[in-house]
Order: sequence, then C-alpha cells, then structure tokens
Amino acid sequence: MLKLENYQEIINKCSHCSYCQATCPVYLEDLLESHVARNRLNLINQVLILRTMPVSQRFREILDRCLLCTNCTQTCSSKVPVDEIIIAARAEVGKGTLGGLKGFVMSKMLKQRGLTGLMSKAGSLAQKIGVAREMPQLASKSFDQIYSGTIPAQGEQRGRVAYFVGCGTNFLYPDTGVAVVEVLTRNGWEVVIPDGQVCCGIPVIAEGDLAAAREMVTANLKVFDLDSVEAVITDCTSCGMMMKEKFSKLLDADDPLQEKAQALAGKIFEVTDFLQQKGLSETPPALDKTFTYHVPCHRGWSPTVADAPRNLLGSLPGAELRELEEPERCCGAAGTFFMQQRELSESIRSHRLEQIEASQADTVITQCPVCRFYLSAGLTSQQVTHPVILLAQAYGTVQP
Amino acid sequence: MNGLVKDLTGLIGESKVLFQPEDLLAYANDATHYFRTQPPDAVVLPTSTEEISRVLSYAYEHYIPVTPRGAGSGLSGGATPVKGGIVVDTKRMNRIVEIDRANMTATVEGGVVLQNFHRAVEKMGLFYPPDPQSMSVCTMGANVATRAGGPRGVKYGTTGNYVTGLEVVLPDGSVIKTGGKFVKQSVGYDLTRLMTGSEGTLGIITKVHVRLLTLPPETRTMVVVCESLDQAAEIVSEIIARGAVPSMMEFMIKLAVTVMNTFVFPPLPTDGEAYLLMEIDGTAAQVEHDAETIKAICRDMKAREIREVEDERVARVYWKARSAMYPFIMTIFKRAITEDITVPRSRIPDLVRAIQEIAASVGIMIGLAGHAGDGNMHPTVLQSEINEEIAAKAKQAIDMLVRRGLELGGTISGEHGIGIHKQEYLDWELDQVQIDLMKRIKAAFDPRGIMNPGKIWVEGGQQ
Repeated sequence: MLKLENYQEIINKCSHCSYCQATCPVYLEDLLESHVARNRLNLINQVLILRTMPVSQRFREILDRCLLCTNCTQTCSSKVPVDEIIIAARAEVGKGTLGGLKGFVMSKMLKQRGLTGLMSKAGSLAQKIGVAREMPQLASKSFDQIYSGTIPAQGEQRGRVAYFVGCGTNFLYPDTGVAVVEVLTRNGWEVVIPDGQVCCGIPVIAEGDLAAAREMVTANLKVFDLDSVEAVITDCTSCGMMMKEKFSKLLDADDPLQEKAQALAGKIFEVTDFLQQKGLSETPPALDKTFTYHVPCHRGWSPTVADAPRNLLGSLPGAELRELEEPERCCGAAGTFFMQQRELSESIRSHRLEQIEASQADTVITQCPVCRFYLSAGLTSQQVTHPVILLAQAYGTVQP
Repeated sequence: MNGLVKDLTGLIGESKVLFQPEDLLAYANDATHYFRTQPPDAVVLPTSTEEISRVLSYAYEHYIPVTPRGAGSGLSGGATPVKGGIVVDTKRMNRIVEIDRANMTATVEGGVVLQNFHRAVEKMGLFYPPDPQSMSVCTMGANVATRAGGPRGVKYGTTGNYVTGLEVVLPDGSVIKTGGKFVKQSVGYDLTRLMTGSEGTLGIITKVHVRLLTLPPETRTMVVVCESLDQAAEIVSEIIARGAVPSMMEFMIKLAVTVMNTFVFPPLPTDGEAYLLMEIDGTAAQVEHDAETIKAICRDMKAREIREVEDERVARVYWKARSAMYPFIMTIFKRAITEDITVPRSRIPDLVRAIQEIAASVGIMIGLAGHAGDGNMHPTVLQSEINEEIAAKAKQAIDMLVRRGLELGGTISGEHGIGIHKQEYLDWELDQVQIDLMKRIKAAFDPRGIMNPGKIWVEGGQQ
C-alpha cells in the first residue's frame, strides 16, 4: 500500500545532493528550494512522520505544486520514488476523497466505460462554469464504440496480445487506438480487447484517493486473462507506468490479486516499445514527414520506451527526425494539473513550445494523450500525434 | 510577519522574501544535511546586484548574519546558516550577460547554472573546462567562492584558473569590480584571487568574468585495468610526463568499479587492483596521437588491459556513472562523507594504502575514487547505520585520513572548501601566522562579522 509509514526508510535515502534541481519542471520555473524533491521529502518527513511541524496551508500548497512527473526520481541516483511519497502524503492529509464536479468525473466516470454521452455533458458543463479554459474535446465516437472483442492477425499469426485502452485513447483520441489495432494486426498479432476495462487509476492517485484507485486496479486485474496472451499493450506511458510500477503497490500485500498484479507488470509494454522489441514483420515503405519527438515524463518504467519511436520511424525513407533541444523536458500538462495550476503549467509549456518551434518540424510525436492535447492546444501550425499513428500512416492503413 | 521580514520586504519586495517555516526549512542545509542546526530567519531571492547591496547594508547596520547560497550542493557545509539570520539565495541572478567570441571571454551573473553555461558556450564552439560533478545544478558564483574543480582539473585546472574578474557586494553593501575581461592585469592586490575560495565570508559574488578556450572537436574514452596501485600511479605519472595529458583521468579501486557496474552496461572489467578511466580530447589527429602514446605506455608498463570505448553513448554512460557515484552510494549506506584530500600524484599509492589500513584499523568501510592526474582523492567514509558508535568511528577515520594526507605532503581540501566540515583541521595545515593573517583580512572586509559566520575557522580560535 502507498502508505507513508512504508516510506520512512526510503526518505532517508535522499542524500540531499540537490541533483533533482536539474530536472524538476516546477523548480525550474519557481527557483525555490522548497519546491524541489529533496526539500519536499524533508518537509513531508518533518510534518507527517516526525510531526515536528503542523499540517499548514503552505504545506498543502507545496504538496499540490508537484506534477508527479517523476523526473526527479529518474535523475536521482538513489532512485527515491518521490511521486509515491507525494501521493501518500496527499492521501494522508485528507485530500483523499474528492467532491464537486471533478470528484464526480473521477469517481463515477473513470470507473465505467460506455458513458461517453455523460462524459461529454460533464465536459461541456465544465467549460461553461469555467473549470478550464483549455479542456479536451471528447471524440464523437469513443474507441470502445469502434473496436471491441478480438481482432484477428492479418497474414500469419505471430502471437496474441491484450490491449489496455486508456481513457485518453478511449474518450479523446480513438485514432491512436485504431492505429494500435491496425499496426499490431498487420504485424501478425491477434489483439484481444477485454471487456470491463476501466481507468488505470492515475488521475485519482494524483489526488491521493487511494481507495478509488484500488477499486480501479482490482477491476482491471480481473478482466485480463494473462496466461492466454504474450503481452499487454498500452499506448499511454502513464497507464504503462501504473501497471508496471503501481498496481501491485496499490493493493495490500496479502491481496489475492497481488500475484496477478505482478504478472501483469511483467507483461506490460508500450505499443512502439513492443513492436521494436519484437521487430516489424514488414518495414513500411516510406514516411514523408519531418517530425520531432516529445518524450513523455512517465518513461522511467521501461529503459527502451523512449528510443522505440526513434528507431521505428527515424530510419524510414522520407522520414526526418529533428530532436528537440531537451527531448525529455516536461510540457506542464501532467493529467489534470494544467487545469489546477494553470499559470504554472502554461509557463512550463512555453519553453517546450519554443523548442518545438525551433526544431522546425511539422509534426510532434508523443506517447501520452495529455501531452498530445496540451501541446496541440499551444501550437498553431504543428500537428501532435502518437508515433503509432505515423507508423500506421507509413503502412498506408491510415490516411494522414 | 516580524520586523526583519517587514524590513526586507520593504527593501526588495514581498515576492522576493521567504519567511514561512516550510520554506525556511528548505534553506537550513546544503548537501551536508547532517550539519543542519537551525533554519534561517528569512530567505531573500534577489534578482540584481542592487538588491543584494540593499540587503547587505541593512544586515550590516543591524548586525544580522548573512549566508550566501547557490544551488546548495556543496559538500563542506558552506551554505549552512549556522547562526540563523538571512540566507541570500543567488539562483535568480541567472543571466548570461555576454559571451564574447572575439575576446574569448564571458560574463555571467553569479546564479548561472554551470551546465547551462557549458551548453551556451559549446554551441558557439567554445569551451569552459571547470566541471565540478554537481555541474547540472551548481552555480558559477558559488563555484568561484569554493574554488570548485572536477575531473578536467588534470589538464585544464579548476575555476580559479579561468576567473579574470568579479563583481562583489561587500558586507557593508558597497559594490566592487575586480579585474575584468582582460587576461592580464598588474594593478594592486589581486582581489579576484582573494575572493576565489573565500566561501562567502568576504562578500557575495554577483558577477563573474571568465576566459574561454576553443572546444576540442574530438574526445575518446579509455579504460586501463592495472595490476596494482603502484602500477596505476606509475602509468599516470608517465602519461603526464610524456605530454599526452588526458582531459579527465579518474582513479578507481575495485570496490568503486563494482559499484559503478551495478548501473552501467556493458560492465567495466573488475579483474585488476586499480583502474584508470580516461578521456582524451583535441583534434582528431591529436586524439589519435595521444591514444597511441597512452596505449604504448600501458603496454610497456604491462598494464593488465587497455580498453578503448568505441561507442560514444557507452562512454557517456560511464562518465555519468562516475559523476553519480556519491549519491549512488546512498542507496546502500545511510550516510556517506566524501573527503577531498589531495596529495602530489606520485604519492597516490601511499595514500590509497593508508586509506585501506585506516579502514581496517578503525573498522569502517571507506569507498575510494579520485582524480588521479591531480592527486585529488575522494575517500568516502560509509556508515551503514546512524548511531554514536559509528559516527565516532567515522570521525576517527576522517581525522586519520586528513593527518595521513598532510604527512604525504598534501592538502586537506582540493576542491570542496573548508566550510564547517574541515574547519577543525585548518591549523593542521596552516600555521598560526597564516591563520591570523587571514583573520585580519576577514576583519578588514567584514569588521562586524556578519558574512557567513561560523565557517573556515572554529569560532574563538583554533583548538
């Protein structure tokens, strides 16, 4: 369980070296020591573990002003899981249960699928009451209305995989899901889309609502028949991180589903990472695109996920990959963070947009639907898309 | 809001003053968190020399202690506000004022992060060699204040070799400009040099002029596996004497390589007693020539293995692992205190053996890596638990290390500075006449003793 008491020892692994300053998007905007991992950890230790300081308004602000992007952890030689400690702290200070519209969306909607109509209403309501100036538009047809069940491999079958459809793909970007199915089946993989999938839980753990997250983890684990598939595919790096690193931690140690959570962790792959590791049956003929790659922050769970799109697309005839000055710099979106801390997110994004402009690429690829949305909203002439969509375009199965 | 905070707010504005306990806690220590005693009373985040000047003249008038701070990545405790008072965080003074290609100089504000500066000059084909291993976060004003150095010291020297001028706010708030963009100056006392390594006790460095080199177009990384410590030291001396000076030359014992191997791929060989990780740089022809010279020396001296790292990406991984060594050992130990004693490089084998003897006799683990070319070693005293007994052993080991380093003709600090950590050893290295002279200089700059009090020497005289 993501309980703070389990992290006391790990917090002390922080050597205070301060190297986390180099990659924390919030610190790089604020340049305040109190807004960087080493001091957040020390403060959590003092307030919630050693109890030398009270839970104050300022303490809550410092907890809230974290994107959970994991850049600090990836920079940290001691690999202190700062995101988990912040989540546990948020849970402990009682942010846990959400109210209002956000709570309604989070707790009711994300636990169920097939509610696109309702989601859409909630979305337009949110826009009306000004919850967010920039809010993603829901797709007219959700992915689960396009594909379901089992889709057979084209040509000779190499194996069978299950597809975990994240909320971003299902509700906002079903084109990603369509490309996932088409590219996988074209490469000889039978794709099973288990019924009854729900949100991976990352939006609710960000709010410290661990109980809701556990419900989602449990629901998801129940629908996968892991023995019958070679891999579980996701197109979203954040869903991937959840399943690889957090599902097991969200369950009690003696939960009967614990074993299954660990088995799932061993089988989860981001789609381009999977394709790269297994190799393409047939290299696409060409891709007439000049593109750049915004590497999502939640990449730490796979050492190869950031190179996969580069390797799969970069060498295609006609394709030109123009690397960003800092390929791994955060865009500021971070789930629903950009709605809650609008100014901060826009400021973080502004550096990213400048770098994208400087790359002179006409397309940006990224494996995170929230980055895709948030970068799109800030760009005027460039298109933002998922690398698997470019791959599908290169095969000619999807029109650009 | 108390009076101090109200006054500071009046001087530089509300958004630049921190006073809530949650914020102050973050400024109570640097990378030496075990020296934390109390948080400061206020933190200021100035964005100009003028603002720092206003804060210092106020502090001077009211006898308030002031602790300057960069990234807080120091290993000597130098940025610890041991007497409370005001912490001056210089990180928002982060403009690169000028990079002058014609004169091969640059001017930066004190809060510029070193790595950002490296990127900026390297884009223009220029080169600023100083490379303290915290370069992804540490700031250039603080590099000057601590005379910071790193692996490239062997060929290129340390920060002090590149600084040509400074802007400094003195404790009473007055601003001086020393040196300038020129590389030669013979006018009065060299206050630039005096400020370099002053550890925030004489004033706050707000602007730095540095000289630049041309960026060497090629680099190559090599690993030499040595049969013995002596062999490694002899190879180092011979390579330098023959003029094939590597840009970096790191010395490691097997334990350090084993630690590194847990996070690099492909792993480094571990079948020798000592290891040299080297980078050579220059034009393609020069790199080729130096590589051949080094290989010939290693062959003649019967090194166990010489490995050239062909893949640029692998080389980067090795160097990154080397720079992450200190924080990485924290994954294994509860506390690690990194020393930086420096000896003449021919005495490295004696020092290494002494370190091993000390570890055995005290009964504590000491990790070891260091910059072989310049004799700057980093024995790291490792504590698996935090308790009085182990702390006492660590203290005993450090005392013995420092003593032995001095006996070998060395110095107690090569690049970290004295701060709090080494202050009790100051009079082991310097005689009383010199310490008294330094104290008179301090009094001339800071008669009220407000600047970074409690650093360099033990209060009230040496023990």
